[in-house]
Amino acid sequence: MDTDTRHPAGDNAREATISLTVNGRQCTALPNETILACARRHDIFIPTLCELDDIDHTPGTCRVCIVEIEQSGREGVHAVSACTTPVREGMVVMTRSKRARDMQRLQVELLMADHLQDCATCVRHGNCELQDLAQFVGLTENRFFDRVKTQTRDYDDSSPAMIRDMQRCVRCQRCVAVCRYHQEVDALVMEGTGVNRAVALRNATDYDKSLCVSCGQCVLVCPTGALGERDEVDRAVDYICDPKITTVMQFAPAVRVAFGEEFGMPAGSNVEGQIIAAARKIGIDVVLDTNFAADVVIMEEGTELLARLKEGRRPTFTSCCPAWINFAEIHYPDILPFLSSTKSPQQVLSTVAKSYLPEKLGIPPERVRVISVMPCVAKKDEAVRPQLAQNGVPETDLVLTTREFARLLRREGIDLKDLEPSVFDDPYMSEYSGAGAIFGTTGGVMEAAVRTIYAAVNGKEIERIELTQLRGFEAVREATIDLGGPVGEVKVAMVHGLGDTRALVEKVRAGEADFDFIEVMACPGGCVDGGGSLRSKKAYLPLAMKRRETIYNVDREAKVRQSHNNAQVKALYRDFLGAPNSENAHHLLHTHYEDRRREMQLTVKEIWEDITMSRTLY
Amino acid sequence: MAEVAYGVWDGVVHDARDGSTKTRASIATLKNFEEFDDGNPIRAFFGDRGFFVFDENVSLVDGLFHYMRKAAEQSCGACTPCRMGTVLVRDALDKMRRGLDSPLGFDSIEMLGEQMKETSLCGLGQTCAIALLDVLRNFRDKVEAEIADHRPIRTQHGMAYMTAPCIEACPSKINVPRYIDYIRDGKPENSLGVLLQKYPMAATCGRVCVRYCEQACRRKLVDEAVGIKTLKRYVADQQKGPHALKFTRDMIHKPLEDGMRVAVIGAGPAGISCAYHLLLHGYHVDVFEKSDQAGGMAQIGIPSYRLPKDTLAMETDIIAELGGRFLFGQQLGRDFTIDDLFAQGYKALFLGLGCQQGTTLGIEGEHAAHDGYYSGIDFLLRVHDHVEGIAPLELNGEVVVVGGGNVAMDCVRSAVRLGADNVHVVYRRTEGDMPADQEEVLAAGVEDIAFHTLTNPTRLMTENGRVVGVELICMEQTEPDESGRRKVRPIPGSAFTLPCNVFIAAIGQQVEDGALVEDDGITLDKWRCVEADKGLATSRPGVFAGGDCVTGPSTLIYAMAAGLKAARSIDDWVQLGTLRFFKRSRMRQLLSDNRILASDVVETPVRNAYRVHNPELDPELRKHMFGEVEQTICDKQAYAEAQRCMRCFRLYTVITAHSIPEGAT
Repeated sequence: MDTDTRHPAGDNAREATISLTVNGRQCTALPNETILACARRHDIFIPTLCELDDIDHTPGTCRVCIVEIEQSGREGVHAVSACTTPVREGMVVMTRSKRARDMQRLQVELLMADHLQDCATCVRHGNCELQDLAQFVGLTENRFFDRVKTQTRDYDDSSPAMIRDMQRCVRCQRCVAVCRYHQEVDALVMEGTGVNRAVALRNATDYDKSLCVSCGQCVLVCPTGALGERDEVDRAVDYICDPKITTVMQFAPAVRVAFGEEFGMPAGSNVEGQIIAAARKIGIDVVLDTNFAADVVIMEEGTELLARLKEGRRPTFTSCCPAWINFAEIHYPDILPFLSSTKSPQQVLSTVAKSYLPEKLGIPPERVRVISVMPCVAKKDEAVRPQLAQNGVPETDLVLTTREFARLLRREGIDLKDLEPSVFDDPYMSEYSGAGAIFGTTGGVMEAAVRTIYAAVNGKEIERIELTQLRGFEAVREATIDLGGPVGEVKVAMVHGLGDTRALVEKVRAGEADFDFIEVMACPGGCVDGGGSLRSKKAYLPLAMKRRETIYNVDREAKVRQSHNNAQVKALYRDFLGAPNSENAHHLLHTHYEDRRREMQLTVKEIWEDITMSRTLY
Repeated sequence: MAEVAYGVWDGVVHDARDGSTKTRASIATLKNFEEFDDGNPIRAFFGDRGFFVFDENVSLVDGLFHYMRKAAEQSCGACTPCRMGTVLVRDALDKMRRGLDSPLGFDSIEMLGEQMKETSLCGLGQTCAIALLDVLRNFRDKVEAEIADHRPIRTQHGMAYMTAPCIEACPSKINVPRYIDYIRDGKPENSLGVLLQKYPMAATCGRVCVRYCEQACRRKLVDEAVGIKTLKRYVADQQKGPHALKFTRDMIHKPLEDGMRVAVIGAGPAGISCAYHLLLHGYHVDVFEKSDQAGGMAQIGIPSYRLPKDTLAMETDIIAELGGRFLFGQQLGRDFTIDDLFAQGYKALFLGLGCQQGTTLGIEGEHAAHDGYYSGIDFLLRVHDHVEGIAPLELNGEVVVVGGGNVAMDCVRSAVRLGADNVHVVYRRTEGDMPADQEEVLAAGVEDIAFHTLTNPTRLMTENGRVVGVELICMEQTEPDESGRRKVRPIPGSAFTLPCNVFIAAIGQQVEDGALVEDDGITLDKWRCVEADKGLATSRPGVFAGGDCVTGPSTLIYAMAAGLKAARSIDDWVQLGTLRFFKRSRMRQLLSDNRILASDVVETPVRNAYRVHNPELDPELRKHMFGEVEQTICDKQAYAEAQRCMRCFRLYTVITAHSIPEGAT
């Protein structure tokens, strides 16, 4: 539909019964609609900061979107926040009056008063909503900034995955909202009063005692550099520049479809070839593909599932997503026995890269360092899990998020656009099937698994390779699949986003859900919109569908579309592991989980000591 | 009468300094502004609607500094203008009053004040700059003169007080917006902590409170009052399960020596609350209770479908967790006397006897009725025994309950659950006049209870002592009298009868006969309630009283508030032999005498968002059981409901000639 001819109220045109003027222009609004929403529908810009429409977040706390209104029954002109104030019949709204502009500008100046403005050293430099906002309101002065006080604000680096830098927090509470209402992890709270108000961890000062699962959705919504991954670009450069070290790089299925934007390429471009070329250019010795490991995971997990089905153990949950593993360990430890023991693709690749690969390449395994590029912050957390180390040496040495990888390339002067795409050259661990490729999107693991399990059960390939019944985008999708043979019909479910995961897990625990196999991805949309992906300003997950489409195209164009037909995977089992779930495979490619339930044992006294503002009684 | 020298109130400038009298009439009504405490004149007053100066020599810069210091201390920090504005203005005024160069001049301060007033998110930020702006816009010459010579300004005496309409309406002065903030912040345990500062029975209050706070809630001016009670119950119910807060002896700030013993008589809400606060003050507390369970009227008078017994028990147990001792089966007047307790060495006593004896109607046939006749309270006692499995009670046939209060509603709703065929309420006024909680009336309605309003019983019919029917007469309302109140009178010739197997008179209660005797030296008033002064001291030194036995049948929250107040008084009396000045109470009086907090408009439009209600069991199901009807709301609902609070905080300061005595805090 041509947007120009659309009624500004869109499909609700008939309900837009309220008339008002905005900047002298006649507008119609829906009952109980805010001035901001109405203005946006009429393409009238009002600067905002805390509000994020995509997650339905309107806390009304930054107070930047000040406009002036006149209304019947009240004398004079009044300043109100456009995001929280509803329209009224006959209201006159002025978003660009001198007073409104002055107040917007003063508000931003007050926001800057305790915001650490070392922009050049900030991860959001050039990509920051606060910098943009300063431009929108024409900020020219910074009278109230107090560096000393600002630097007393909290800086939390207790997580191996993420940094919480309150010196750059503008208290928009988007992180709290996405964690509370969308992921329903509810690990973040607002703490303190007045200028000490900050985002904090619920009932914990350190990450390792908190309810946080490192899904990283908070990072995706943060308008500034207050939340971010632990930056390990320097360590990556150290490895790369160390001649004694053989650097092995792997990158996740979703990275290749969610990276080009950073360099001005169209959203959803497949830049696999450019990533390979860039990796070589910066000095990576061996470029491998996590997709290969995804195929291995299917071999292991599929076999494991069949064994469990035979034993009548159901359901089995997938185990590729580290934020999901954290969630299960911290929030629902009683379901851990139902998780597949297969390691994630990242860990499978790293393990094999430090055992099989050195053998094949004839290099000492202790010289190998695996650098993993992931659209995920929880992968950093996963890499340091004690059960994912061999003799104290972590399998994965270093995880870079997609964002850090972009920074790494920038440091090396690389613009992805300018690179000639290359291809993998490692003959052992870089080939992948279409099944491995679709791991990056919700439903992909399930589809990949079904392709292989069907073949295992029936001794022939499934006829309709693309299982469209698994491909919806609803939060929870259920399907019944006939695997044929002695297994027959299995009931599967796929869920993405931890809020809906929580609901599904509750159902499973209550005995109200009847499934054999459940795929879980903690991030809404799956890895294509992982917490380590590129940030979008003023938007949450805007590119999911484009990236997903490209991933399905990769599958469609793949020569081999089933994990078990991946020649390099076959070679790995033949030459090294033996059969899937063999003792050797089990030793190397499976892991175990730990009950990490958080106990809160607080006394009233401790609470009273924490309470401020109403301490008037004793 | 205090003479206002100058000031601004609701935007109207008053200036008596130039001899003009034209604006003085409107402020001549200021009451009780002469002195704050004895011999301590009020020099100036700053509030949410402006300021008054009584003593021309008062420093406005210093006064505004104290005001803004409190604002900065109380700012929640959520919104930008209040968070930074209060701090910047405070620091600038501080520099000025100390005779130093301020980074911000009066123009900048005025700009910040305007930004705070116009753009803040909540009531605190919106109102805390009004007095400041009034000064800067109308009396700029005054403040400029004050700092002209760069000399430090002598610090002035006074106090600051922050409140909100809901806080002032609450007998216990719970900081309602604060505990709602904590829910919004994601810290329900801190929210509960705020409640526990005032009383231990938060889950009980969250179920049965009559919600004076919600009546005062300004959100009503937008759509509906915030579900304050619902939120209270939500945070209190987090106490169930593994994350429950622990009550530990180290909550007691300063334990007192062994001899500091206080006896609390009656383990009802007043007694429990008093014992709790005495324990927190460090006293050794013994609670004497005539029955074998704690809770008083909350235990026997509130049916379990509204307040499950285990919920109440969990909260009365707090007394024991803090080291208090319950002595059950101990009835005043039967097992011990007041003299006995003093002889045993108790330093002070608290009487929380309650009103546990039903009042009779005084109608013909009442005395003859032995079988099928109950007072409301006796009936509820039987219901309690039924639920506890002590003595099963089964009803059938027609049940008629007389009265329109909460006890009457408890009786009818219990009677339904006990199997009565038909249950009737008879009330002499209209349904709108019923003193019962409106929600209770509605709940009774959906449980198929027949309401006979504007109806009064005139005669009870019995056969051999058995109730068989009741004669009723219809009433009509008279025209309103001068006070606007409409009385009721019987309509001649309108009498009719209802068959009746069980008749319950739930029209009032009184202190039980025999609990107090003349020798106790406790004066009773004409309603046979215990007479107590403002500090809840009775006529006998060392004996304090509170709750229903002082006020007559009242509410849980009033009883708990009385317990707190009595504990404060007892502490003063034991430690000092006299009751100290209580400055916050004085401030409240100033606000209420002058209706300063009265505010009935919400000028800026607010989006409608209607309140959450507790989920309820289906009426068809719940009619047959005593299980709790209302359920706790979920996290999501609590977060949403907490968002509805508009935080109508208001800040007040007085500047006084001398320092205000530091009384009980």
